[in-house]
Amino acid sequence: MTRRLVASVITLLGVGLVLVGLIQLLPGDPARMIAGMEATQAEVERIRRQLGLDEPIIVQYWRFLEHLMNGNMGVSARTGSPVTEEIMARLPFTVELAVLGTLFGVVVGILLGVIAATHKDSWIDSLVSAVGVMGISMPVYWLGILLIVVFAVNLKVVPASGAASLSSLILPSLTLGVFSTAIVSRMTRSNMLEVLGRDYIRTVRAKGLVERVVVYKHALRNSFVPILTVIGLQFGTLLGGAVLTESVFAWPGLGRLLIDSINARDFPMVQGIVFTFAAMFIVVNIITDLLYTVVDPRVNLYD
Amino acid sequence: MRRAGKSGTRVALIAAVAGALVLSACTTGGGGGGGEGADKTFNIGIGVDLDTVDPVQQTTTTVQNVVDYGVEALTKLDKKGKVQPSLAESWETSNGGKTMTFKLREGVKFQDGTKFDAEAAKFNLDRLLDPKVEVPIRGNYEVISKVTAADPTTLEIDLKNPSPNLPLFLSSTISGMMSPESAEKDGNSYKNIVKPVGTGPYSFVRFKKGDQAVYEKYGDYWGKKPHYDRVVFHIVPESNSREAMLRSGQAEMIMNPPVSDLKALEEDSALEVVQAPSDRTVFTAFNNSKPPFDDKRVRQALNYAVDKKSIAEKVVFGAVDVVDSPFASSLDGYCSVGSYEYDPKKAKQLLADAGAKNLSVTMGTPSGRYLQDKQAAQAIAANLREVGVKVKVRTTDWPSYIANTGAAKDEQVYDMHLLGWAPGALDAPSQFQMFQKSQWPTNGLASAFYTNPKVESLIAKGNTELDDAARDKMYCDAQKQIWDDAPWMFLWSQTLLLAHSSDVEGVSYIPNEKFDAVYARPAKK
Repeated sequence: MTRRLVASVITLLGVGLVLVGLIQLLPGDPARMIAGMEATQAEVERIRRQLGLDEPIIVQYWRFLEHLMNGNMGVSARTGSPVTEEIMARLPFTVELAVLGTLFGVVVGILLGVIAATHKDSWIDSLVSAVGVMGISMPVYWLGILLIVVFAVNLKVVPASGAASLSSLILPSLTLGVFSTAIVSRMTRSNMLEVLGRDYIRTVRAKGLVERVVVYKHALRNSFVPILTVIGLQFGTLLGGAVLTESVFAWPGLGRLLIDSINARDFPMVQGIVFTFAAMFIVVNIITDLLYTVVDPRVNLYD
Repeated sequence: MRRAGKSGTRVALIAAVAGALVLSACTTGGGGGGGEGADKTFNIGIGVDLDTVDPVQQTTTTVQNVVDYGVEALTKLDKKGKVQPSLAESWETSNGGKTMTFKLREGVKFQDGTKFDAEAAKFNLDRLLDPKVEVPIRGNYEVISKVTAADPTTLEIDLKNPSPNLPLFLSSTISGMMSPESAEKDGNSYKNIVKPVGTGPYSFVRFKKGDQAVYEKYGDYWGKKPHYDRVVFHIVPESNSREAMLRSGQAEMIMNPPVSDLKALEEDSALEVVQAPSDRTVFTAFNNSKPPFDDKRVRQALNYAVDKKSIAEKVVFGAVDVVDSPFASSLDGYCSVGSYEYDPKKAKQLLADAGAKNLSVTMGTPSGRYLQDKQAAQAIAANLREVGVKVKVRTTDWPSYIANTGAAKDEQVYDMHLLGWAPGALDAPSQFQMFQKSQWPTNGLASAFYTNPKVESLIAKGNTELDDAARDKMYCDAQKQIWDDAPWMFLWSQTLLLAHSSDVEGVSYIPNEKFDAVYARPAKK
């Protein structure tokens, strides 16, 4: 476990280095972006000096590390407020979406997967896999607009966008969740099929157990470890997938802040957000590994 | 297997029903975001997030538009773009144009109860000029040498040289008046204001980044009282999502709906569309410093070769006005100077006269920055091909794009590029920047690399001329010369598009890309 933590820290330092380097390669003048196009050159130059943008990369990386060690991530070039503060204000929105999206994907995905597996080769199975293919191949952007048109504009049952009320959460998390549903259901189906064919399933059936117990207690539990891996990875993907969803639904999360910051060439903010995403991805992976031991006691993380 | 399947299906059904119940509980619990009309709230969907609410730090008209609900300036612009009194009732010039005296309105109070007087005005203008405070667009005000509060209602401004455009500049949010008392309170600091306290009809309540800005009616406002108790600006970057917001009743008004849906919006009886003229000229700058565009005949030829009216109508959905001057018609000093009517024959003739055969050029365009920019660029390229000019259209993201167009003249990536330019104070000098050598990249964004001694001298004289008629004459002569020299392919001026519910009336505009919905109210029917 200690080794994993050390590896995580090294990974994060690497992410930071790559970030500082890559951002330097982006074309476009941050000072000009901040000053606005109609500003005069003298004004642009003053902003450039103020932001220290004329310094070499190595100095900028050092400053980034220094900030990290002090527990902050610098100051936004665009708004002048602390990066950490802005990220903490937006983070809950994105986490909320990702958690709900994952939850939706897991619950519906596992159910669909189990149903498909227990109805192998029937029309239900075909239907589930058709829905799965659609879910994977439908662009998040398009699905989002479609849901808005149907549920907000025509039926008027939920708000079209914003984060004013709890009901605002429904459409964006559904949009995010559909993608995971598709992946989780396919994963569940194939694992269930494998487990259902095992000898011990035949044994418990022979013992006369109710089929529901056979399927959900014995078979599902034993096919859960690979599914869990997918869920962990999905959660990470959803954090990133939130970028598009947040734009469509005007959701005030980190993803939109990232897009805005890239467009404004707000380097400190971009660094902070990507770094936060990376850190969360690593944490989620560690948590997933820990969960293995809960689901399957044979897994040992300490060897 | 059969039995197993059935029980699995049952569990799935139960779960689905339970899930639906949870979701519907959320719906009723949270309440629809749109149902706030009862307490007289006006919801406006805008596309740009607020980077700062500090008046002096403004760079974006949409953000200024929001800040304007709470903060007023000494002057303001009307629907025609002319300067009108606001917190200053009148002004006069003396000392050969080098002193301006403003008579301030009496009985005005800031939203925190502080009195507005000449001392307060001096505080704000001094702060605007203070190098310790970051002010991105300070240039227009640097002509001010000293601000004096002569008495509570008299403000004297000493200038380094005569500046007839100053009253225009003083209408900008950048010179908006905040309560000096509030500058160090509620999270505000002298260097950075997060809660502006002004004299406007609405007072700032809160702003949540990426989400919304909320304003509440200010009971003691000195002017006409608005109808709505609250105004909420919803930040929704996607134009399709803004349209959905309006159609679902979540917003009463939105800025810039998707231009491709204009027709459908106009045909919907529940909605109304307002097309407001704006100050933004959209043009294609030729690189005048290099062949083939160092020849005036080639530049004129290309102006004749493009059917601008038809592109404006069919590609930009009629959301723009084809220009007849290098100025948008809302700008101070604008005069109509000519037209390059679509004439491919004349274009071919001019190209032949110039000896320009087999031309092949690269045209740059942003994508999504201006109305239908990329699509318009492609249509322009198609027109140019018809007169024998091969055009390669290239696009890139906005920051990289202006890095390219703002590069030195030998490092320009494109031979010609599409751009827009909008002087927020509607003043001539800002527009003329685009035609002066001192503003060539990398000193400025005059990316056509155009200069003409006659034009330079007319601009220089006009900028300090105190007599309005004489100044307008000089500006007009300069526009004529520029039009004839054709450093740009003159295209159109954009309109600001607003869509609102037809249950609302009183939505108006100011022609610098701002809307005026302060006095919006439910429509009488």
